[in-house]
Amino acid sequence: MEATYTLEFARAADGLFALAASPDFARDGLCFAACSSGIYRSEDGGASWRLLRASSETVTTALALSPSFADDRSLFAAVKGGLLRSSDAGDNWYTAGFPAPPPVFSSLLVSPDFERDGFILAATLEDGVFSSTDRGLRWQPWNFGLFDLAALCLAMSPAWTTDETVYVGTETGLYQSSNGGRAWRHSGFPSELAPVLCLATTTSHADGAVRIFAGTEMHGLHRSCDGGENWERLAADAMPDAVNQLYVTHDERGGASLYALTNDGVLQSDDEGRSWSQVIRSDAAATAMLPLCGVIFLGVLGKGVMRLPRN
Amino acid sequence: MSEEKAFPTRKIYRPGVVFQPEAQRNIGRGINTLVAAIRPTLGPTARTVAVTRLDDARKPPDVLDSGGVIARKVIEMGRRDEDMGAMLARALICRQHEQMGDGSATAAVLLGAVYSGGVHYLAAGGNAMRLRHYLERALADALAALDEMTRPVTGAAKLAQVAEAICHDRPLSKLLGEIFDVIGAFGQLDVRKDQGRSLRREYIEGMFWNSGLVSRDMIADQTELQTVYEEPAIVIADFQINDPRHIMPMLELAVEQRIEKLLLIAGELSGDAIAGLLMANGKLKNFQVMAVRGPGMNPDDRQAAVEDLAVVTGALPLLTVMGQSLKDIRRENFGGARRAWASPHNFGIIGGQGNPRRLRRHVSNLQAQYQRTDDTKRREQIQARIGKLMGGSATLWIGGSSEPKIEARKDLAEATATAMRAAVKEGVLPGGGLSLLGCRARLAAKLRRAQDPDERAAYRIIHDALAEPARAIFENAGYEAGEVFGWLTAAGAGHGFDAVSGCLTDNGALLDGAAIQKMALKNAVMTAGMALTIDVLVHHKTPEIARAPG
Repeated sequence: MEATYTLEFARAADGLFALAASPDFARDGLCFAACSSGIYRSEDGGASWRLLRASSETVTTALALSPSFADDRSLFAAVKGGLLRSSDAGDNWYTAGFPAPPPVFSSLLVSPDFERDGFILAATLEDGVFSSTDRGLRWQPWNFGLFDLAALCLAMSPAWTTDETVYVGTETGLYQSSNGGRAWRHSGFPSELAPVLCLATTTSHADGAVRIFAGTEMHGLHRSCDGGENWERLAADAMPDAVNQLYVTHDERGGASLYALTNDGVLQSDDEGRSWSQVIRSDAAATAMLPLCGVIFLGVLGKGVMRLPRN
Repeated sequence: MSEEKAFPTRKIYRPGVVFQPEAQRNIGRGINTLVAAIRPTLGPTARTVAVTRLDDARKPPDVLDSGGVIARKVIEMGRRDEDMGAMLARALICRQHEQMGDGSATAAVLLGAVYSGGVHYLAAGGNAMRLRHYLERALADALAALDEMTRPVTGAAKLAQVAEAICHDRPLSKLLGEIFDVIGAFGQLDVRKDQGRSLRREYIEGMFWNSGLVSRDMIADQTELQTVYEEPAIVIADFQINDPRHIMPMLELAVEQRIEKLLLIAGELSGDAIAGLLMANGKLKNFQVMAVRGPGMNPDDRQAAVEDLAVVTGALPLLTVMGQSLKDIRRENFGGARRAWASPHNFGIIGGQGNPRRLRRHVSNLQAQYQRTDDTKRREQIQARIGKLMGGSATLWIGGSSEPKIEARKDLAEATATAMRAAVKEGVLPGGGLSLLGCRARLAAKLRRAQDPDERAAYRIIHDALAEPARAIFENAGYEAGEVFGWLTAAGAGHGFDAVSGCLTDNGALLDGAAIQKMALKNAVMTAGMALTIDVLVHHKTPEIARAPG
């Protein structure tokens, strides 16, 4: 398969903030792109894209799909000052308002047990973290103990349904909550390594413990194997200093692959971050990635969405 | 016929000196009487104690089930020697109640057991000073054993379990469990009376202070009686502003900086200065200012509030000690927030623009200060400061069917909240007297190795005393204590006895605050040790009416 721009931006200033695909992408081929010009949807595995009318010209900074998207068709998008939710795969949208001044959202996270708990978290650049327990209808700020309200990224523990643990990366460190985001405490992540741009979690195949990965703006990728108390830098030689996005995929045997989007392209690790191989080299300013079966989508500033083959 | 008096005429005591053996016997009577009065209140199936009302003896008595409250109501025993013993016990029990909110009955029972054991040994010819020395050594071993058993408590369900062990009120425990799961050990919790019949809780975003607008003319929303500013600049000054001309440099700089909303927090403002600000609101385009009084009732509180506000908002405060006035204002004196609100009585800040790293360091420093100080008042002040800085607060509203019931439940909620804080800070232990029973193995091992008779006596006394709280809990629930101890021995380690259901449980099913148990044990042994060394009693003519200790 050739690397092609299947979605091309009209303006050089157009950016792409997030990509998301249906959990059943292999069958339905549905994926979404959150751009400065609105939300795009592809129904053919990313070969062609359509701007959703309801979101046209709306800067969309984050995107998240329900884990049970195949049944509930729910997705959420963050726009300036509010959040949009759709329960028909993006055909119609409803807004949820927030107190003024309007927050700028950086990340959205939907509970893996969304069908039961209807829980969503939203990180903002100046107002900390908001949560909703009614499928995005109403939102409350949950910032007890979160001293830094510049929240950049979110991640949930793989054992979320039992431990209710969630992490937020901020301008000055990494905070964690063991009660579903109601109260936060600073983790052991050294604050001099912040800002934390991206987070990912996996369960180790070896010992069943949770691994937390934190990508920073200037100090590379770090991993904690003890719930966030102690951290080690990973692949200092192979990994560039700026790690912009992390993504975890799982195979049928339960094995996890970790992808890191850097300024040089995309790197992949199949051994919990110990070794990395470059899967995509890119000179363009990639702002988002989405590794899926057979393809990797890459959002490039001013260009569009690139669809690349994945070995 | 003359009206009956509420209080009997107080006895006039003759001065005197009392020597052994009367001194020890009478002190012991006083201690044992108070301990016996409080012992029935220990455990989840506590019985009650009726106490004559102090204000009017003809009214129905107060029916109480809290050891700390009962001890407070005991003023004298009728005999001056016994009074001395009772007041020693009372001071211990009240201190436990005030500082921890729970554990006063446990402390009383432990005191009674250690003191009685000590008296028996001294009667057999033991040395009081040496016994006291070894009691303190045995205490250290018991505390070390408790430390080993202590586990952190997290999660609303576990915290509710701790609360229930303290207050035995399930709906209240459930709410307190949730609240402490959110606010943590230092979070701000207000317990207030409600008009409704049930319990409810409310969480408030951001931080607020009990100090309001300097003028009602600054209220923008007359319905809500408050003014809300989005993204205001904030100026903090700890002095009084009398001269309206002094506010001009601040207003000029604000306009120059294109500030649209300004919150001024100042010590006090004169009428002329307020008029100046109101005039600016009317005349300056795209500019609004409101002023609030600096929080704090005394200079220490005010200084602390200025320090906290400066860290939260990122403003460099203007300070009297630096010889500054508003005329000296510079750009660095402006802080900011995402939102600020003020009403006639309070003001609040949401999303302060201070440096998060500095804020975290500031909170860490306050937590270290909290650990270093033993002064209860100072601790409360520091705790309140940390609570504010955590970025939110909780309010627990207590409703009920009548005013006395609401009042009683509010007192219970406050005492439970105090004990919960200690549990969140220092962890939990197996409840139902099990943790103290669990220390006995360590003491038994020490006892087997001890050679000195005084040392052996001390370890035996503490070893035996540690079983007394569990014994009292079982007996208060209507069980034969020896039988329950037998069940526990047969069930093996890791089991406890639920006195409410009458069933054996996992020892994780019942929880007590570790700090509460440790303090009860420590203070009981120290008080007993001290009481055992008293050799002579000296009485003045008429002792003063006892007051709450501390």
